[in-house]
Amino acid sequence: MVGNLYFALCALVCLLGALGCVTSKKPIRGAIGLLATIIGMAGLFLKLNAQFLAAIQLIVYAGAVVVLFVFVIMVLGPDSRTDVDGGRAQISRAFAGGLFALIAGGALVLLAKGGPTPTRLLPAPPGHGDVEAVGGQLFTQAIVPFEITTALLIAAAIGAIAIARGRAVRAPKPHGLPAGEYYHGPVRPEDAAPASKKGTPK
Amino acid sequence: MNLLFPLSPLLVTGFGALLLMLTEAFGTPRVRAAAGEEVVDAGAGRSGELALGAAVVLLAGAVLSVAVWLAGPAASPELKLLEPWLVFDGVALFMSFVLCLGGAFTALLAGGYLPEHQIDRGEFFPLLILATLGAQVLSASGDLLMLFVGLETMSLAVYAMIGLRRGSARAVEAALKYFLLGSFAAALMLFGGALLYGATGHTDLRGIGQAVASIGQPESTVNAGLVLLGLTLNLVGLAFKVSAVPFHMWTPDAYEGAPTPTTTFMAVAVKTAAFAILMRLLLTSFGDERAMSWGAGWPPVLALLAIVTMTVANLIAGRQESVKRMLAYSSIAHAGYVLIGLVATMRSPIEGQASVMVYLLTYTVSTAGAFGALILCGSRGAEAVSYDDLAGIGRRHPAAALVFTLFLLSLAGMPPTAGFFGKLYIFRAAIDSELYWLTVLGLLNSLVAAYYYLRVIVSMYFREPAPGAPVATPMRSGLVTGALVLAAFLVLAIGLAPATPLAMALGSLTGG
Repeated sequence: MVGNLYFALCALVCLLGALGCVTSKKPIRGAIGLLATIIGMAGLFLKLNAQFLAAIQLIVYAGAVVVLFVFVIMVLGPDSRTDVDGGRAQISRAFAGGLFALIAGGALVLLAKGGPTPTRLLPAPPGHGDVEAVGGQLFTQAIVPFEITTALLIAAAIGAIAIARGRAVRAPKPHGLPAGEYYHGPVRPEDAAPASKKGTPK
Repeated sequence: MNLLFPLSPLLVTGFGALLLMLTEAFGTPRVRAAAGEEVVDAGAGRSGELALGAAVVLLAGAVLSVAVWLAGPAASPELKLLEPWLVFDGVALFMSFVLCLGGAFTALLAGGYLPEHQIDRGEFFPLLILATLGAQVLSASGDLLMLFVGLETMSLAVYAMIGLRRGSARAVEAALKYFLLGSFAAALMLFGGALLYGATGHTDLRGIGQAVASIGQPESTVNAGLVLLGLTLNLVGLAFKVSAVPFHMWTPDAYEGAPTPTTTFMAVAVKTAAFAILMRLLLTSFGDERAMSWGAGWPPVLALLAIVTMTVANLIAGRQESVKRMLAYSSIAHAGYVLIGLVATMRSPIEGQASVMVYLLTYTVSTAGAFGALILCGSRGAEAVSYDDLAGIGRRHPAAALVFTLFLLSLAGMPPTAGFFGKLYIFRAAIDSELYWLTVLGLLNSLVAAYYYLRVIVSMYFREPAPGAPVATPMRSGLVTGALVLAAFLVLAIGLAPATPLAMALGSLTGG
């Protein structure tokens, strides 16, 4: 009973978050809705005895991905928004809404008919899905893909540097001059020369 | 435990990439900064050395693949320890050879191209080797998890290799387009893999195969609908990577906007690896009698894909004004021919697979050569990309025009080049499988394709640049010349002694 209540709570948080994410007009509210969905999912993972997955879900998605979203939204300004009432936005909204209605309607019809019988899975053995079990699998059974993942990470790191750096040669940041000097007219005499040629008012 | 030798093709590329990365990071830059600027890339100005190093690493990988192949996978029972993650059988070693060869061509071409066009970036070479490593892993993987890791290693490195030219809006567009669509395709594959796992309880390809083969038997609990959906999603994801129509939309823009050596790598190695894993996935996991039958299996889907791919790509390629874009469409069309070979595995599995392997080898040398010749024909500020740029090259620079002609004839499938035998084996396997109409459509498409390949030759030899138009001057680079000589040698050698690669491919499959 308590388990069912917990499931219902998590599912409700998930659904409300998802609804808020797609319906809110302010991007920051959308991001918070996404956060709620992710936290609800982590709760559902816990219910499935997958503690490790739940922790990763919180650390990676709630901790990193959503923070990145919020960061980008804040950089752009919380009030910035795309054209939400244009023709193309209307069409894509209608398309997504129609698709959702179709799938949800289909699911409801199936349910009403008695639908496909759900597969009963055996209860998970004790210790299944906790950090020790996942770590044991990772370092014994799955050692080959685990090692190849290092190549993936190195490729990602070098690629990020290559893209971010842009050019091999660049101008250094100005330094050495006291900040005030920039605001006291031309520093070098030759900088001032062209201006005087153009005939500054005497 | 004697695991070092059989694993050496992977170890050489992996450690080679790390070594080159360190050399690049701790070296002394060779460019002099202008007044008021500083050099931030230690590899700047040293593309030549790094390219040579990368080519040596990748050629060593290719030679070691052949050495392990000659020793025979049966000689190293330790390799079984890596199963089911990595399956290093004869096919995987053959593919590893082709992939390393394609990577080595790319390294040599980049050594000339990058300094010439002032994208002199040392990061290119470690990325290139890591991408090749990812491709090797992908083509040898025997598990959906491994498949995904290999695919992402290869793809991430290639995304960065496209985006190196930050100043060019086209390159950024190409990188973003490939990144977004590629990620989407990877997500589809991951979803498909999850569904297959849900339906069969396995992520290793052989286990999935056993479960799929049991569908239809009374005691089977496998949900056929889920398997079908999973297979479809995986096929779509891989069709993105081999750029089969209608999943080819990104290809022309990405190929055209990328630096030409990256384009070469995408056309050659990425496509080869994707075909290798497609072949393994279909024949290992969906290789039972029902899944390979014409009535209830995947062959008609692939046949349709092959027809659409060849026809659409050839018709559009004929209308291009840019030679680089034409070669992009040509690579899509070649994916269609390879798909014919895959369909032919339904009735003659050994001959069909061997024809695909030989075709990928001949396609690699011809395409790398054609892009290399295009690189050679251009120089700083005047990259030869259009038919007009190539006008009159045949008279002014006969050697460059001659090798370009050789590679184009090989792509068109003229004897006595490698391309002719690649096509011959594909069509023979198709006829053996009684796919007559597919063979006829393939032949008709080859005729259409000959038009646009010959058009390049016509502009090189029989046209002069319009008065006042900018004239392309070929660049001078020992590395590019070396790559072209090697590719030309292989195109002619395979064309004159076609029995050897076919025997190798058949030997990989039969274990002989």
